[in-house]
Amino acid sequence: MVVRVVRSLRSGTPVARSGLAALLPVAGTAVVLAVLPPIWFGRSTYTTGLAIITLVFASYAVGFNVIFGSTSQLFLCVGALAGIGGYATALFSDSASLPVFVGVLLGTLIAAIVGGVLSWIAVRRSLGVIFTGILTLVFSLAFQNLLLGQRQLTGGSTGHELKAAATTLADDRVGGYYLFAALVVIFLIVFRLIQTSHVGWAFRALRDDETAAELTGIDVSRYRVYAAVVGSAMIGLTGGLYAYSDGFINPTTFAFNQIDVLVLVMVVFGGLGSLLGPLLGAGVFEAVDQLLSSSGQIREFLYGLMIVALFLGFRRGLVPALGRLARRPVVPASPLQPRTDDGPAVPSAT
Amino acid sequence: MIPLLEVDDLTKHFGGLPAVHGVTFGIDDGEIVAVVGPNGAGKSTLLKLIAGLERPTRGSIRLRDEPVGGLPAHQVRRKGITMVMQTPRTFPSLTVLENAMLGAMFGPAHGVIDEREARRRAAESLAFVGLEALADLPVETLNLHQQRFLDLAKALAGRPQLLLLDEVMAGLNETEIRASVEIVRRVRDKLGTTVLWVEHVMSAVIELAERVIVLDFGSVLTEGAPDVVMRDSRVIEAYLGEAQIA
Amino acid sequence: MKAVLLDGIVLGLGFGLLGVGLTLVYGLGGVLNLAYGELAVLGAMVVSLVKDAGAPLALAAVAGVAAAMAAAVLLDLTVMRPVYRQSGEHRVLLGLLVTLGVAFLIEGLLNWRDPLGALTVDIGGGPIGIFGVPMPMSSIWASAITLGAGAILVVFLGATTFGRAIRSVMQDEVGARLVGISPSFTRTVIFALSGALAGLVAVTSAMSSPLTVTQGFDLTSFALIVTVVGGLGSVTGAFLAGLLLGIVDTLSAYYVGQYITSVVLLGAAGLTILIRPRGLLGR
Ligand SMILES: Nc1ncnc2c1ncn2[C@@H]1O[C@H](COP(=O)(O)OP(=O)(O)OP(=O)(O)O)[C@@H](O)[C@H]1O
Ligand SMILES: [Mg+2]
Repeated sequence: MVVRVVRSLRSGTPVARSGLAALLPVAGTAVVLAVLPPIWFGRSTYTTGLAIITLVFASYAVGFNVIFGSTSQLFLCVGALAGIGGYATALFSDSASLPVFVGVLLGTLIAAIVGGVLSWIAVRRSLGVIFTGILTLVFSLAFQNLLLGQRQLTGGSTGHELKAAATTLADDRVGGYYLFAALVVIFLIVFRLIQTSHVGWAFRALRDDETAAELTGIDVSRYRVYAAVVGSAMIGLTGGLYAYSDGFINPTTFAFNQIDVLVLVMVVFGGLGSLLGPLLGAGVFEAVDQLLSSSGQIREFLYGLMIVALFLGFRRGLVPALGRLARRPVVPASPLQPRTDDGPAVPSAT
Repeated sequence: MIPLLEVDDLTKHFGGLPAVHGVTFGIDDGEIVAVVGPNGAGKSTLLKLIAGLERPTRGSIRLRDEPVGGLPAHQVRRKGITMVMQTPRTFPSLTVLENAMLGAMFGPAHGVIDEREARRRAAESLAFVGLEALADLPVETLNLHQQRFLDLAKALAGRPQLLLLDEVMAGLNETEIRASVEIVRRVRDKLGTTVLWVEHVMSAVIELAERVIVLDFGSVLTEGAPDVVMRDSRVIEAYLGEAQIA
Repeated sequence: MKAVLLDGIVLGLGFGLLGVGLTLVYGLGGVLNLAYGELAVLGAMVVSLVKDAGAPLALAAVAGVAAAMAAAVLLDLTVMRPVYRQSGEHRVLLGLLVTLGVAFLIEGLLNWRDPLGALTVDIGGGPIGIFGVPMPMSSIWASAITLGAGAILVVFLGATTFGRAIRSVMQDEVGARLVGISPSFTRTVIFALSGALAGLVAVTSAMSSPLTVTQGFDLTSFALIVTVVGGLGSVTGAFLAGLLLGIVDTLSAYYVGQYITSVVLLGAAGLTILIRPRGLLGR
């Protein structure tokens, strides 16, 4: 059973099952997330707070996974996109006195548009992984400086207190937990539905070989932009809801080294492109972070050590690694035909 | 009658150097036309131009009188032109069947085919090239010959009107070449697909092609029936020139 | 105006040298070293340590540059080996992630040892008039060191056999191996060079304003901007871009303000990618 589940999580595995069966892993995740507070940490506000942070990061990570994991666009602006959601929520609801949910929606929309435009530029100029990474990193840093510079609007480095914030959520941590648990589950459903649709097929093809995908009739550029829009919307929505539930944001909340680095580590560690990888990555990461927190000053050092070790050791991610372990006995080690160029001719060619 | 494909004054320069220069020819429905020429003559570039992988510097390409020159590859594909490249371009993380499914799904002109139908068409075209027994294997377990056939199945699954083949018989042994010749013949006879085919293996060209276009230094040297073209002194010279250098 | 321009040139020279160190490593197989700025900070902290122990400034500076250089070589000999064994996008990505981890590692180490650490290099002496503008002694020293290092670098890469070998590896890894140049040894030398440059920039920049432990990421991003504008992999391009951006930076900071200046610099990098991805002088 475990083997089956793990196999189905393998990154890049085409999801042959259709309809409801494809959503089974998500349903399982939803159940686990739902029962965690009552059976484990519900009574500790501190632990619940940690769980919320984990879920927030998992949400960012799923969005990033749609963009980078599915279509290989290295978006180093997760923090900035989340910041767009967060600040839009704050400014539209406080300064423009719109209802909070309108602010969140507008933030989501703007993040989606910005992500789409960045992707469109990258696609039009055929920027590879590294140039897309640099372009989006440059955007992140510029956004950060704008937040700091436009003091009248954003409050600069002092930050912004949301008048419209959900005080109830800030007090009742379990409520906040369920808000973000629901968000993660919804994102996972969306991710799974994309995976099982023709869009998912297009993603797998273009991730393997762009030219071959084009020759197959796949509009690689369009699917890239599509992924960027969907992923950025997820990230913007998460940022907006975070601002709404926490009640206080400042530029550091969404800084590159606060968000992007962690999200990148979580997703790559969890397994690029896999369904539950981002969530597992976020969970493991937060757990390790907790273990390290008692180490005080040396924490950041250990953290760096961990990143290096993880990437050199688990290059292809946790979920795929587990998948390979689970798969080993299932698929015979030797294929039917040896892979040589002068192997036997194809059977019944005529 | 309008020819299936018309290429007029097609030219491609790479940094000022012409790889294809003023090439003009037409292909009728149901023909098997071979393109031959020494190494570096511009054969692959010609096919890539038609397939939309390269943008022409000058000239036009028309499919049933509709201009397709300069369109991106995926649009050219949906108009009915598909290409099998010199090195097989398969999707390594997928199985054989899934590779063919992608061709079936995204190839056709009128939008994406649903998964069930794509699976059926994919199985059909795998059977056509004789790979049905390997359907569930990962592509990485296939040898070169089989990968070429898979690439072909992937192309056929999208039901093209015009199939472009780039040296699909290079590096194969006698038996494999004969099998390939048979398959290409059946592609035309059974499926009615027109074939434009670049090849170095002359025995196969003479056996299969109905017309041969000879390229040299990016231009058409001559064209005509295989046996006539092969006796043409200019063609022999072009090839001899190459042999002396080699 | 003339004073601002001169200040810009001084800053720009520093930018240029910073960019060169990053671009050298990138040119060699496409790895962006995100720990680059941390190497500079590491060098700075060593200078500060040796200086505080009572050593003369010049000796401390040499020790700092050597430390940054040693750290870079260590990096190449350990964690970068598996990275260079990969190819294509795998290498690019793994390189990015691993050096990011190393950046945390170094920053964490320095933060742990000395969270308030800062390097100030005090050059005595009054200002000297240049084109009628009184320039502080520190600026003159910094520029002279930078120009000297730049000149040595250009001669080394352009006129020595080994320098040419390096450039050939930068152009074609496989080809270089065929003619008997070992890419891995060349890489180690490049890393050493890059580390030394980082250390040198740390020293010269500390002459005008203190360099603190937390500035590693800023240095890396400045170097990145300079390299992108100059053209990834181009040494002369990095110098030129550094000079240009230094002048833009000073002018903009003088007339518009610091945050907007950062946006302007970042915008320059963004525009370069959009309009001319190869950069000013990129291949
Ligand atoms: N992307 C490119 N950039 C620059 N030059 C190119 C490019 N592609 C092809 N060429 C040049 O164009 C000319 C024609 O190349 P092409 O690959 O079309 O030849 P070919 O006839 O297919 O040769 P072969 O028989 O070796 O496959 C060659 O001189 C080649 O070097
Ligand atoms: Mg060719």
